[in-house]
Formats: sequence, C-alpha cells, structure tokens
Amino acid sequence: MIKNIFYTEWLKVRHYRAFWVLLSITAISFPGVNAIAYFAFKNAAEGPSQGGQLMKMLLGNPFAFPQTFHTTAYLSSFFAFIPAVVVIMLITNEFQFKTHRQNIIDGWQKHTFIWGKFISVMLITLIVTIFYMAVASTLGFIATKEVENAVLYEKAYFMLLFALQLFSQLSVAFLLGLLIRKAFIAYGIFIFYGFIIENMLVGLFKLKAKKLGYDYGHFLPFEISDRLIPVPPAIGKFNEADYKLAMDAIGQHVFYTLMLTFLVWILAFYIYKKRDL
Amino acid sequence: MFILEINNISKAYGKIKALDNLSFNVPEGSVFGILGPNGSGKTTTLSIILDVLQADSGSYKWFGESPHAGLRKRIGSLLETPNLYHYLTAVQNLRITQSISGRGDDRDIEKVLKQVNLHERKNYRFSTYSLGMKQRLAIAAALLGDPKVLLLDEPTNGLDPVGIAEIRELIKSLAQSGHTIIMASHLLDEVEKVCDYVAILKQGKLIASGSVDSVLSDEDCLILSAAENRLIELMQGYKGISRVADTPEGVACFFDKGKVSAAEVNAFCFNNGIVLSQITMKKKKLEEKFFELTSTQND
Repeated sequence: MIKNIFYTEWLKVRHYRAFWVLLSITAISFPGVNAIAYFAFKNAAEGPSQGGQLMKMLLGNPFAFPQTFHTTAYLSSFFAFIPAVVVIMLITNEFQFKTHRQNIIDGWQKHTFIWGKFISVMLITLIVTIFYMAVASTLGFIATKEVENAVLYEKAYFMLLFALQLFSQLSVAFLLGLLIRKAFIAYGIFIFYGFIIENMLVGLFKLKAKKLGYDYGHFLPFEISDRLIPVPPAIGKFNEADYKLAMDAIGQHVFYTLMLTFLVWILAFYIYKKRDL
Repeated sequence: MFILEINNISKAYGKIKALDNLSFNVPEGSVFGILGPNGSGKTTTLSIILDVLQADSGSYKWFGESPHAGLRKRIGSLLETPNLYHYLTAVQNLRITQSISGRGDDRDIEKVLKQVNLHERKNYRFSTYSLGMKQRLAIAAALLGDPKVLLLDEPTNGLDPVGIAEIRELIKSLAQSGHTIIMASHLLDEVEKVCDYVAILKQGKLIASGSVDSVLSDEDCLILSAAENRLIELMQGYKGISRVADTPEGVACFFDKGKVSAAEVNAFCFNNGIVLSQITMKKKKLEEKFFELTSTQND
C-alpha cells in the first residue's frame, strides 16, 4: 500500500515543472544564504580592522566543524518558507483542480490521500535536509583548518533537529493549505502569521511572562520548533545565561514539536475524513 | 441482480434539501439514466454513491455489498467535470488513474485513448485541451481497464455534435457488450436515445422510475370541443382513456399510444347526444411529458 501511495505521488510530481523549479530555488537559496554569511564573516575576520580581529578571537569560526552544523541550521531555518510554498502548492492544487476528489472516486480512501501528502511532506523534508547537510559539510571543510574526526560530527545532531523543525513547520503549512484550499490565501497567511503575527505574540508573551507566570510564547506553532535551533554560540556568547537556557530547553522542545506535529496530522486526517469533497 | 441499490438517501445543504428519501435500484446490464432539471440532485446522488459526499441518512450498496474503497476501483467514473492534473499529459494522467484504481496497463491506456479519439494528442498537456477534449480524456479514464460498471455524469457535456454522437454510440456498444452504465443527464433526448431505464428527479425527490418506455412513453391526445358542458363527464367514462383535462384549446383526452380512433370517439359522443365541433389528434412530445411529470410533482 505504502509503495502504491509513494508511486502515485511520484507520478503527480515527476513531470510537474513548478515543483522542480521551487525545489531548485530551495537548493540554491540554502548554499546562497550560508555562503553570504560565511564570506561576510571571513572578510570581517581577515580584514585589517581591529574589530574583525577581536571578533575572530572572541567567536572563533562559526562555520568550522563542529559549529557549522549549528550555524548553518540556524541560518537555513529562516528559509523554510520556500519549501512551504511547495507543500502548500501540492495540496491546494488538488483542491483547485478537484483531483483529490478524483483520487477518491478512483478508489483511494480518504486517509490514503492524506497519507500520500504525509509522505510527500516527509520527502520534501528529507530532500531539503540533504541540501542543508551538504551545505553544512562543505562550509565545514572549507572553514576548518585541521579536520579531526573526533570533533567533526560533535554537533551533527543538529541535522535531526533541523529535519524535525522543518517537518513540523511544513506540516503546519500543509494544514493551512488543507483548511484554506486557495494557494495564495494559504501562503499569505503562512507568511503573515509566521513572520509578523507570531513574532509579535512571542514578544508580547515575553513582556507579560511575569504577570502570566510563564512565557507561553514558547508554545506558539512556529516558536515551538524554532526553539529546536537556538542562536549559534557565536551569537549566544553575548548573553551566555539565555543561551544556556535555550540549549537546555532543546530536549523539551523536541517533545513539544513532536506533539504539535502529531496533532497537526491527526487534525488533517480528521478534517479530510469529515469533509464533503 | 441489482448493481446498485439506493435506499432512502437524504442529504441537506443547510436548509436546502438536496435529496429527500431517494430510493431506486439499477439492474445489471442496463443503461440507467438519472434525469432531472439542473439542481434536481443528480450530481449529489452520484457524489454520495462515489463516497465524495456523505449522506445525512439512508444507505446504498454496490454489487450487493456495503460500500468500500475496493468497490469503487471496479467502477469507471466521470463526476461533474473532468478532474485531472492540468500540468500532465493524457498518458501521464491515465497512469495516475491506473495506479490508484489498479485498472488496466500501458496497452489499455493506448486503447482507451484511441476509443475517445485522443490518441494523436496523447502527449499534450491537459491544460492545452479544449473542453471537449478534456471531457474525452475523463471518459477515457473511466473506460480504463474495461470496468463492468460505468458511472457518467453528463458525459456529452462540452462535446460538439459529432463528439456527442460518438460518445452515445460508444455507450450503446458498451451496453451491448454487457456493461452496466449509470448516466446522469438533464437532456431528455440523450436519455431517450441511450438509456433503457430511467429515474426522474426533481428537487431531490424521485418522481418516476422504471423502463424508459413506461416512464417517458408517448401518449396520444385528442382535443375535443362541443357546445354541451357534460363532454368532460362523458369522456371520463370512455373505455381505454387514461385521463381528461380541461385546457384552453378544448377538452384534452389522453390515451395510450395507438389505442384511440378519432372516428370511434366521434361516434361515441354522437351516440350519447353530443355533437363535436372540434376533434384534433395531437401528438405529445417527450419534452411535454417530462415537463408534465416535473410540474405535476411540484404542485
């Protein structure tokens, strides 16, 4: 059954040009943003100014092994909105052209259709994570003067954290697409909420944390998984206490993210099952 | 044996009752037409039996079994509009149908594309097709793997006259080779030409069902006029008459087709003391019968 779902989803995207164009943009944007950050740091650190020298001395090289996995994951995570376009497009297309309905008419059960999309989101996560791993490793080898196996993969667990964060955020994007069914509206809400509303709410909850007794902003849909990848140590050094707290909370947020993602998919299965197509 | 049994299905959209206790059975090997004006509940009925919509109450059975996804794979279906991937070609779209339904193989894809005259455009994207071509491709998808039951919602929608004739011929030839075809249409002419059974819906209610000949049978109608007022009363007692109506044209007397002679009616009236000033034989059109059925049930 899984093989059939996988094959059918593959048939849907195999010749879909927009899908491959957007994946290519993702593939370009990841090395692009990290390379820009890397060269900006390199120019500053190797420049003649005293500030640059001081920065190098204080921060080390955030792109060298093993820090590259953390730094690259942090920078790449800002670009989750590009694969989110792919996910929203894949689900809203099915509604726009009523092909999801035809899938059911032709013999799929409603839950089979959602499983198909679950597999697609997993695969997109896997592909994007591979892009990230390639970029992190490449920059690591470029930036590290002496590569020693012992430290090479010390922070490699960020690969899993990156994959979990991405899968969670793409799942939220999928749910939005499933609920709203119109690509532009779903994507608009995703961007507007993700970049503006949620950041405002996070700030607001932080301000009211004392009054409320807890910073509930941690539990907002994107913030839950954003906290899987705290700021890299190069930046964290400026506020070591907060950095340590953020690093210590990763384990908790793995649990919260898994719960949220599970809930999102349960909701997706339920909504689609109950909905008239 | 019935291929499809529908029992007391109801469905409402808010306050609007789309289907109201609908029941009918589709015999195996028949071409079964679901006929009704726009908004009568035809597509809602088909959507429910294809598990796209959920009925509020009632049940249905395919092949004598309670519905499940495996049964849908045995039915070639075209519901409402052609729902295919706009960025894929005809062949690529049919491969998806094949993968989901498990019906047919690559040779079947070639075969059905030839059947609907799309073979030459098989490698063109769906988005480049005209409405008629899209409809043909959707029919090809329904035909894939030669399912024994076909469910076609307005199958000639968007086709030109030649295309309409071809699809009707195709349906007839499939029926002759033992397929069961369930076809929804608002075109009376189409149902009359293609179907052997019909269910007529209006505002979600079944108003007539049975063989096309019995439901949409043509009637003979005699229009009579006379000075005497008791003409209606007299004609109600005439042997073989089905009903009498007072119309602006005169007294309309309905008989089963070929069962009345104007001379005999004239003689009957004369012998009973009524001299007819008018006796006109009027052939009733099928459309009139349909309008009569649907308007009668409305009152």
